[in-house]
Amino acid sequence: MQIEKDIVRIGFNPLTDCASLVMASVLGLDRKHGIRIVLSKETSWAGVRDKLLTGELDAAHALYGLVYATHLGVGSARRDMAILMNLNRNGQAITLSRRLVEEGVRDGTGVAALSHERELRWAQTFPTGTHAMWLYYWLAAYGVHPLREARVITVPPAQMATNLAAGHMDGFCAGEPWNHRAVMDGVGVTIATSQQIWPDHPEKVLATTADFVRRHPNTARALVAAVLEASRWIDASAANRMAMAEIISAVPYVNTGKDVIWQRILGHYDDGMGHTWEDAHSMRFHQEGAANFPYLSDGMWFMTQQKRWGLLKASPDYLGVALKVHQIALYKEAAEITETPIPASALRSSVLMDGTTWDGRDPERYAGSFDIRM
Amino acid sequence: MSRNLRIVLIHPPHESEARAHALHAGLAEAGYDLVASLPADFHLPEHIARLQPDMIIVDAESDARDVLEHIVIATRDERRPIVMFTEDDKADSMEAAMAAGVSAYVVAGLQPERVKPVLDVALVRFKREQKLLDELEGTRLKLAERKLLDRAKGILMARQGLTEDQAFQKLRSMAMNKNLKLADLAQRILDAEDLLG
Repeated sequence: MQIEKDIVRIGFNPLTDCASLVMASVLGLDRKHGIRIVLSKETSWAGVRDKLLTGELDAAHALYGLVYATHLGVGSARRDMAILMNLNRNGQAITLSRRLVEEGVRDGTGVAALSHERELRWAQTFPTGTHAMWLYYWLAAYGVHPLREARVITVPPAQMATNLAAGHMDGFCAGEPWNHRAVMDGVGVTIATSQQIWPDHPEKVLATTADFVRRHPNTARALVAAVLEASRWIDASAANRMAMAEIISAVPYVNTGKDVIWQRILGHYDDGMGHTWEDAHSMRFHQEGAANFPYLSDGMWFMTQQKRWGLLKASPDYLGVALKVHQIALYKEAAEITETPIPASALRSSVLMDGTTWDGRDPERYAGSFDIRM
Repeated sequence: MSRNLRIVLIHPPHESEARAHALHAGLAEAGYDLVASLPADFHLPEHIARLQPDMIIVDAESDARDVLEHIVIATRDERRPIVMFTEDDKADSMEAAMAAGVSAYVVAGLQPERVKPVLDVALVRFKREQKLLDELEGTRLKLAERKLLDRAKGILMARQGLTEDQAFQKLRSMAMNKNLKLADLAQRILDAEDLLG
């Protein structure tokens, strides 16, 4: 099969979950599949989106919600987008300022009690992104309306710890390593992990435009194959994860101490309030392909939450949009090349923290089923 | 081109404001008013809410882009153009950004003498697109409302044996009495119909 474009420019933001893209390049798995990945470190998700649209980037490490928002025209011009695969599950968290812990807040119930008294200030990383959705879901599950009883703003991840320390905000939701970093710096505690909200939740995706896939199907397939193999390599052993942590902590990638990254990717959690545990649902990159398969139900969930919080003003055609955006046929071909197991169904069933089941079967009803919503 | 547009420039937290000063002079000469040069920090959203600029200029590579995205979405019913600049002097990047319909216009470099024509083009283009979007949205809403109204009229005609004209008069007086928009009232009637069958 002729590779249409052998140099593939991929954008990423400096977060632990960009690891499989970095490793695909570092381990030479891209060359094995006839392409060469050129990584481009980005400073914002808005920048990633714009560069995907202008073609300056071919594909990118992206937030689920960003892809759908662009596909549906929320916050930018509408453009048909494509999700090639999921990059990881789990490994994000909600950090609470140490000052509030000193006031006696130690869990979601405490946050809720205080939120009914005064408006807390929370930060997330992108208005339509996954962190906003995790934060809103968590607050709402404790009975706090995130848009009426709290003030939520967007702050770049690398600025979170500083602003928390300066008392500009009471907490934030972001990807690792920034939550662990806040614990290490003594400015915040991990009050909830994203996997407590939804065990094995979908997180970042490998995104591109529909147009790129149409014009470069062989390149796209080779890219998925290379990233699948890198994902498998990361999940294969603790030693591989340690090596990964060492590599991605370097300046060109996440640019932080290795110590900030490795504990949580090995599942060693310390919440900063004296509680340590081995997390059964820490960040996963492969899980025999389960973490990579672009489940339609995963994608539709983000649309249900964007509808819930008024980011989507009307109900989208959930299944129709997901079927268009998720490149399942292409993924399956890449999975076959790399001998990655393919799940029997493109829908999966999960139970979230509030006991509700999400199985992708009736997204419109699900989106409207929450008591707390816009 | 309208004069005295209020422009805000966003610069990195620790960068010197020398560039902003140079730009300020150039813009003032061209009839634009640089009302503030703001650091890309935590207080940016508050400052922007207070200053209500007509246009925001930011470096394409700034991490404040996502903060602006928040503002864009929070105020999406009263959008304002966001102009981006980049040091990357690629002739085609601005055209590509425009062709892609990106919410921004990339300027190569930020020299005052070059920035003015780009701002003019950006603003004209923004206004034109905004007008089209508004019209499209208006048409879409009207169409949706008309459909709702027709269905509600149909229900009243079937249930109460009214003519179309009578059904419409009835809807209109009910809406006035209940202080509801016609479309909202029609929706309520449809909901009740769904519920009661």
